[in-house]
Amino acid sequence: MKSLSQEKAEFLQVLAARIVPETTELDAAGLGRFFGIVDEALMDRPVAVRRQFGTFLGVLRWLPAIRYGQPFEKLPFDRQDGVLAWFEDCPVSLLRKGFWGLKAMVFMGYYGQPETNQAVGYAPEVDGKGGLHA
Amino acid sequence: MERVGSMREMEYDIVIIGSGAGGGVAAKELAPLCADGVRIAVFEWGAKLRDDEFSGREVDMASKLFFDSGGTFTKDRTMTLAYGRAYGGSTVIYTGTSLTMPKDVVEEWGVPGLEFADLHRRSMKYFEENNVHLLPEEDINDNNRLFLVGCRKLGFNVEQFPINVKGCRGSSLCNLGCPNQAKLGTDRVQLPKAEALGVEVITNCRVTNIGDRVCEAVVADPGYGDPSKWEPGEYRVRAKVVVVCAGGVVNSPGLLLRSGFADRLPMLGRSITLHPALILVGEHVDPITNFHGFPKSYYCDQFMKRDRFLLETCMYFPFVTAKNLIGFGAEHSELMRAFPRLQMILVLALDPAVPENRVTLDAHGGLVIDYTLTEPVLDSLHASMLESTRVFFAAGARRVHAPAGTNFFIDAADSDRVDQLIPRANVKPGKISVTSAHLMGGCAMGRDVSDSVTNGWGRVHDIPWLYVADSSLFPQCSEVNPYVTVMALADRVAEGIRNNAGELLS
Repeated sequence: MKSLSQEKAEFLQVLAARIVPETTELDAAGLGRFFGIVDEALMDRPVAVRRQFGTFLGVLRWLPAIRYGQPFEKLPFDRQDGVLAWFEDCPVSLLRKGFWGLKAMVFMGYYGQPETNQAVGYAPEVDGKGGLHA
Repeated sequence: MERVGSMREMEYDIVIIGSGAGGGVAAKELAPLCADGVRIAVFEWGAKLRDDEFSGREVDMASKLFFDSGGTFTKDRTMTLAYGRAYGGSTVIYTGTSLTMPKDVVEEWGVPGLEFADLHRRSMKYFEENNVHLLPEEDINDNNRLFLVGCRKLGFNVEQFPINVKGCRGSSLCNLGCPNQAKLGTDRVQLPKAEALGVEVITNCRVTNIGDRVCEAVVADPGYGDPSKWEPGEYRVRAKVVVVCAGGVVNSPGLLLRSGFADRLPMLGRSITLHPALILVGEHVDPITNFHGFPKSYYCDQFMKRDRFLLETCMYFPFVTAKNLIGFGAEHSELMRAFPRLQMILVLALDPAVPENRVTLDAHGGLVIDYTLTEPVLDSLHASMLESTRVFFAAGARRVHAPAGTNFFIDAADSDRVDQLIPRANVKPGKISVTSAHLMGGCAMGRDVSDSVTNGWGRVHDIPWLYVADSSLFPQCSEVNPYVTVMALADRVAEGIRNNAGELLS
């Protein structure tokens, strides 16, 4: 990835597994597409936004250490989910927005792949009327 | 063409910036002047995609047809904006729902010289030109039909959207650019007409500055679409008569701000409105037709005056749907996997025009959309969630996902407790996904520089060679889907230029 360090990219994958569990089932090509989409989206954004995204990943990783004594990826899954839920509903709006941005990136990386459309049963057709009247 | 240093020099009589609903119509309406030797150019930032490039692939099309892939942030990052960048501007990526402005809203605008009858007459002209009609009942899918059923059961008023399609095959992909070329935007109607009469449309061309009857522009090669008629590079373009800004709510005021017009126009960029929108989802027991057929056929105007919101049917794509849901993990995935059983409603809040909501520049000259969701707008969004949830249940949904719900799902068994299960306190900016695809204002029409940027004919106050012809002219929101009004206003702006043509062209 051009937009994130290897370490940050690996952490993003940890987060993605909690946000869209199906990302753990992606094969190498699927993961490549996931990171490709995220990378392109981040590279299209101003440098400051990319930097803020990277900083937010760092906050998400290390803030749990203050309370639980371990970084995010060392926590049990249910506690990881609790941390993410806290961020989503956080009284500090900056952290809420950061989490929204993270979710958007993960959703884009996964659901933005045409290859995953089938998994959710989404199959539009150029001739949609055919499907409508089938 | 002359070349001065690295900058090539061009000359036209009329330069139009932007090719969407405003720029496309202005180009077509002014095109007959070409027969008298008037040279007209349209500069469009985006590309002209070939028919075979409309792939229907969500991320691919979003990156080619929208600024920031459809996710431009507001300054406080509580909203994202979707607006188009293509030959045809946002008319390439709208749904084509065609409504005229209500009389009372035109009167509330209070623009001197702008009468409802005039705007309505011009709107009807574009109904005709764009083949606006009602879809026959047999082509309406379950997603739309269920909205009608739910609203009627609750006694809500529902209307059918007239739409501007010809040869629609119901791909449901309107917002990613119609793969069947059936939607009659300016890319299919007005721009080809203008070009046939001699207007030159330069794509991949970004105007970076406007001076006194001169524009600076950069042409680039994005790597897709037809090549621009001009080689990549920098251009200085003299506009001997007029410049018409039709780049939309972000780019028209943005360009004028960057070009140093703020000192003369204190209202420049101010009072933007966005129709802040939510996408809501109800899940049915059995599959329904939702991504087959035309996506948007009905709207409910029951709550426009009391609660200031409009409900519309909609059908979005997996990524857009996913990011509009609250939550994550197993529940979120479960709902996404129910895609063929999902009914969707789009909410539009009718936001007030306040001067503090504006397009402005940061310290580096970058564009900033400084927009705050006010408490009354958040109230509207909350009320809209309650009513939409009732519509879903009345239509037979087994459960509903409300972004401000206390639980991820609200089951049908709890449908009588909707008020408790969707508390107002949960409508938190930055948590719920709020988007906008109806950008309005920033170069408002009005009386003089103290209250506006242009007069009622789109002519910028005290700058006789500068016009605006897009939705940035709106002094307040339109309260309905705005493209027909944009066309009607651009038609009027073009008439004003034509009427002054003798004076302007002499």
